[in-house]
Amino acid sequence: MAERTSGPSGQEQAGPAQAGAGSSPESGRQGAGRQDGVLQPTAARSRSRRGIGRDVAAWIVLAVALLSVPGVMDEFFAYELGLYLLFGIVAQGIALAWGRAGFLPLGQALFFGLGAYLACYVLPSGGILATTAGLLLCVLAPALLAYGVARLVFARRHESGPYFALITLALVMFGFQLANQWSSVTGGFNGISGVPVPFDLDRYSNYYYLVVAATLASTALVAWLLRTPLGTLWAAIAQNENRLQFFGFATDRLKAWAFAVSAGLGGLAGALFAGHQGIVTPQASSVVLSAEFVIWAAVGGRRSPYGALLGAVVIGILSTYLRDHFAYWEIVIAVVFIVVVMRFPDGILGLLQGLGRVVTRRRPSAPAKTPEAGVTAPDPAYRREAAPATLRYDDVVVRQGSVRILNGLHLVLDRPGLHCVIGPNGAGKTSSFNVLTGRLPLIGGHLAFQGRRVDGYRADAMARLGVGRKFQIPSVFAELTVADNLRIAQWANRARRRDLLRMATRDWTSETMARMHREFPFLAEVAHRPAGAISQGQRQMLEFAMTAITEPVLYLLDEPCAGLSVDETRHLSAVIQATVREAGAAALVVEHDMSAVESLADSVYVLHQGRLLAQGSFEDIRGNPEVRAVYAGGQK
Amino acid sequence: MNRRRIIQGGVAAMLGMPLLSRVSWAASSPIRVGMLIPESGPAGLFGPSSRNCTELGVQDINARGGVLGRPIEVLYADGGLPPAQAAQAALRLWRGRKVEVLIGMHDSAVREAVAAMLDGKLPYIYTPTTEGGGCAPATYVIGETPQQQLLPVMPWLAQNRNVKKWYLIGNDYVWPRDSNVVAKEAIAASGGEVVGEEYLPFTVDNFDASLGRIRDSGAEGVFITLVGGASVGFNRAFASFGLPAKALRLCTLLEENTLLGIGAQNTEGLYSSTGYFATLPSGAARQFADRYRSTFDNAKAPLNGLAESCYEGLLLLEAMAAKAGSLEPKATEAVAEGLAYEGPRGRIELLGRYAAKNIYLAESKGTEFEIVQTFENVPPGQSCTN
Amino acid sequence: MVELLNLVYHCLVLALVVLGLAVVFGMLGVMNMAHGEFLMLGAFSAVTAQSAGLSPLWGVAIAIAVCGVVGWVVERLMIRHLYHRPFDTLLATWGLSILMREVIELFYGRGYQNVDMPFTGSVALLGVAYPSYRVLLMAVLVVLFAALALWYVRSPSGARIRAMVGNPTLAQAVGISTTRLATGAFVFGVCTAGVAGALLAPLVRVEPAMGLDYLLNSFFVLVVGGLGSLAGLAAGTGMIGGTQVVISNLFDQTSGYLAVLAVSLLFLWLKPNGLIARR
Repeated sequence: MAERTSGPSGQEQAGPAQAGAGSSPESGRQGAGRQDGVLQPTAARSRSRRGIGRDVAAWIVLAVALLSVPGVMDEFFAYELGLYLLFGIVAQGIALAWGRAGFLPLGQALFFGLGAYLACYVLPSGGILATTAGLLLCVLAPALLAYGVARLVFARRHESGPYFALITLALVMFGFQLANQWSSVTGGFNGISGVPVPFDLDRYSNYYYLVVAATLASTALVAWLLRTPLGTLWAAIAQNENRLQFFGFATDRLKAWAFAVSAGLGGLAGALFAGHQGIVTPQASSVVLSAEFVIWAAVGGRRSPYGALLGAVVIGILSTYLRDHFAYWEIVIAVVFIVVVMRFPDGILGLLQGLGRVVTRRRPSAPAKTPEAGVTAPDPAYRREAAPATLRYDDVVVRQGSVRILNGLHLVLDRPGLHCVIGPNGAGKTSSFNVLTGRLPLIGGHLAFQGRRVDGYRADAMARLGVGRKFQIPSVFAELTVADNLRIAQWANRARRRDLLRMATRDWTSETMARMHREFPFLAEVAHRPAGAISQGQRQMLEFAMTAITEPVLYLLDEPCAGLSVDETRHLSAVIQATVREAGAAALVVEHDMSAVESLADSVYVLHQGRLLAQGSFEDIRGNPEVRAVYAGGQK
Repeated sequence: MNRRRIIQGGVAAMLGMPLLSRVSWAASSPIRVGMLIPESGPAGLFGPSSRNCTELGVQDINARGGVLGRPIEVLYADGGLPPAQAAQAALRLWRGRKVEVLIGMHDSAVREAVAAMLDGKLPYIYTPTTEGGGCAPATYVIGETPQQQLLPVMPWLAQNRNVKKWYLIGNDYVWPRDSNVVAKEAIAASGGEVVGEEYLPFTVDNFDASLGRIRDSGAEGVFITLVGGASVGFNRAFASFGLPAKALRLCTLLEENTLLGIGAQNTEGLYSSTGYFATLPSGAARQFADRYRSTFDNAKAPLNGLAESCYEGLLLLEAMAAKAGSLEPKATEAVAEGLAYEGPRGRIELLGRYAAKNIYLAESKGTEFEIVQTFENVPPGQSCTN
Repeated sequence: MVELLNLVYHCLVLALVVLGLAVVFGMLGVMNMAHGEFLMLGAFSAVTAQSAGLSPLWGVAIAIAVCGVVGWVVERLMIRHLYHRPFDTLLATWGLSILMREVIELFYGRGYQNVDMPFTGSVALLGVAYPSYRVLLMAVLVVLFAALALWYVRSPSGARIRAMVGNPTLAQAVGISTTRLATGAFVFGVCTAGVAGALLAPLVRVEPAMGLDYLLNSFFVLVVGGLGSLAGLAAGTGMIGGTQVVISNLFDQTSGYLAVLAVSLLFLWLKPNGLIARR
């Protein structure tokens, strides 16, 4: 560790070294690897391969276990297990939406019931082809409904909040009422009975295998999705959705995809449920069942499809057999659930995995020796167009309550380079950034970026235009690794939908990424530690690196060196300057430190009480009597 | 069936020799009877009393020599679960625990599910009050039908209590709707008219709007097919507004538990028309009620018609097995028509897989039922032809 | 005319039911899914009072005692650790609601309990015979809400609470004990639910599973009306209660129920901060 060459980060590495970290990477080899652009099988790639290998092994174990049940136990037990496997599929959907993407659907029975009722109509009819098409319908219809609802709901708020949970609850209540009332279609209270088994299977013997096939398919799908870049993005949404939008990701759409997948799984389970039971009643679409799905996912382990399946099967089967013999069973389950929610967010599976780790003394994997050298990422659209950054605030007014935060701000930026924004507290500096990136509503005036009017544009829309923002308090994805944080920045504005589903996208790299690793060598060292565990200074640099990797046309940097030591500040400022100038970009930097302003700024804007007070070079500003009066407190 | 066992049993029965029957006892294994009673869900409150009545039935039948010369053993499953799961529970009793007959005291949704699952391969006795409509093979529906509960009763009320204008109110599902079809028939036959009809979702707790409509309609009688909590809430609100002074109430699913829930303050002019009350005066009924009260805590699990129907189901099982000589569905089907037995309710006779029985009209006095009229041997009004 | 009385009655009762959750959710941000179960505890307190031979009004005192103790324990053991985890609060309190339901079932059984009205009969009000107990209840509630509004706006502790709600960090910095206030607010909230249950017990069905419908209606009222103010509570109650009563009277009960759901969904979607948004 001591031979670290790059200055500031060396003394900051106070955290415990990873066991097995061994020697630090040699700078020379790093440079050679990247400059050649040579594709090397990297430790990182083999790490993700190891993860996939573990997944496949787990899946095979599951397949063997499920397929051997009729032989080891009896066919009747297998029949009963089938019901809980179907419930497990729904719970896996909840693991995806809630465990990974961070929003809680409290009404999944709506989709389960929809799939079940649809199946009564579309499944019994034709042969194999028609039945398969029918199954597809039972999966797609709930998915489409869920996508629509999610888009509508999430578009209006930039955070999920518990309101979404309440909405799904209200929807399932609606659905339940509909199922009860619309007797001509749903059979009302008595439901639809005598549902035949699809594909002419035998309900009590070989239908089980169809259920197992669906379970394995669902498990594979969810496990795969969690490993794709999309899965990482969902995790990022759960941790810091706000920040992810500034990387140009339309998080409402991403969440809607998650919800749609979970609904599709619910529909699949419901469709198979109809044939399994032979009867579909409004209970299949009730609040009680929805709550049970959530409880099973939570107790089993919401972070993994295996956990959710475990929860449904174990709790379900135990409930069936113990309920009759043990009067306190429900109380026990309630207490277990409460304890799991409070203490064990990873559920039973998490407990087992933790125990397994203790037993085998397996440590969390060692960090990579070299950072990824891999596929070169495509350029973002705004880079390809290579238009210079121009920004215009025209008489912008922003109000909060009765206070005018921006009071007719008129600011024009038409040259590349670094431009500092200074002013006393409350002058409206951060607010000017906020209104540009859709975080504050524009009450009056106009905003234009590169000649295009951007009034009221959302944060992700501005990011997609090439505006990169860095926050005063470093805002990263604390529970993701540093490497994943960088990856997300690498994907920003470059990855299209299908890229998000390809594993190769995880190996994307670019010139700027390489450069950031050169400037901040600690990034490689802490690549596999969670971003929340590194020091504040390192987090500032990480966040800047992430912003830079998106190669924005306009940087919005809000006190980028806040909280750093003198050495760190010098280092980071130098990197900022070099990066911005080499890219030919423009940067607006909010700064308080006059010495930093003096060394950085090509020009300075002075804000005061929501208006532009003065503008010009540093010398001009320093000599400006109005500015001095404001800073000295002489003017109100 | 084993001929030796039949001869042994027959000889023992004829000679009434306890020694011989005890010998045959030891030699034969019990007949497993599956009992589907609600232990959870909205009807869960009938669980304990149903179990109690079942226990009495097992004791009585085994004391009489059991079924087909073998003692019976009852295995319980929860019929109060949602239909899919209740059918699973029944399936477990059948395929897993090898019961030879199923007796069910639960709602008709569960009945449909279980009947579809059984597909006529096991005799299935369905005992509680019902709207009917079930004609699955080897399924015997012995509970009160709306025809039985209304066709003789409403004209009697029209004549003896001067009720001409009726308001119909119930929960929104098949039993109230089918009941109201029959009610309209009965009302028309007695020269009355229907001044209002409405259906409420299960979740409604505030009946003010409905009560307002009832008051404005000038109804003299309210036919209530609300169930469970809705019945309790509605009846309490009805009384609190002073409406019993204007109209009497008739329920076809009002038993002792619900009456307790409604409370003595609120039961003026509240009539119930059904096949059993704990206060039935006949010898057999009184004996049964006394035995129940002395064996079990009536305060915790009040004796009521739904629970007693479990006892009736066991009596039918005994009679059917005795006549058919076997519990195979083909055998029971062969003897079902016209099969009759006597019990606390009086005489029950199977007709078209439904049952003709006595119907009792009772008026609530405090929290007890007082029988005001008995209608003997009322035909079920529904039958199965398949 | 009866319809008007019914509307006023319905809204006042709804406000009483929701008040507890308005305090707990609106002020502490705790989505207490066991709100209905505390109400149920209050109703069963009235049952207990009656079986002990006392007037059911004693049930109110018992309800306050029971809910106070249970609420205090729950806040210390559970809620306190979950203030920054809204989903987990939701789920943990859901588990709590199941637990409370099962425990009550164990002691009282699943059946309906009867609570007699303390006094029967009706008074002539606006030319209509209206049940006396309801009239008394309405009068009590009007006085209660007026007193509450006055207290909240005028008193020093009301000011402290408003400070804590507006800016908890600053409130703590000036020496207001936010932990104690939070505990107090939670206990107050659940006790209010208990009192509502005890007062309503003679009028509604009483059974262990009665809580869920009260819970959902309460959430809808708060979402529509807006969190964090008595004015919001009033607005939400008027909106939801009014919709339910008016639609039920014009059409039927099913439409009334569905209309409430529809209104709630609309607000959840379009105006989740409610009619009288604090923010």
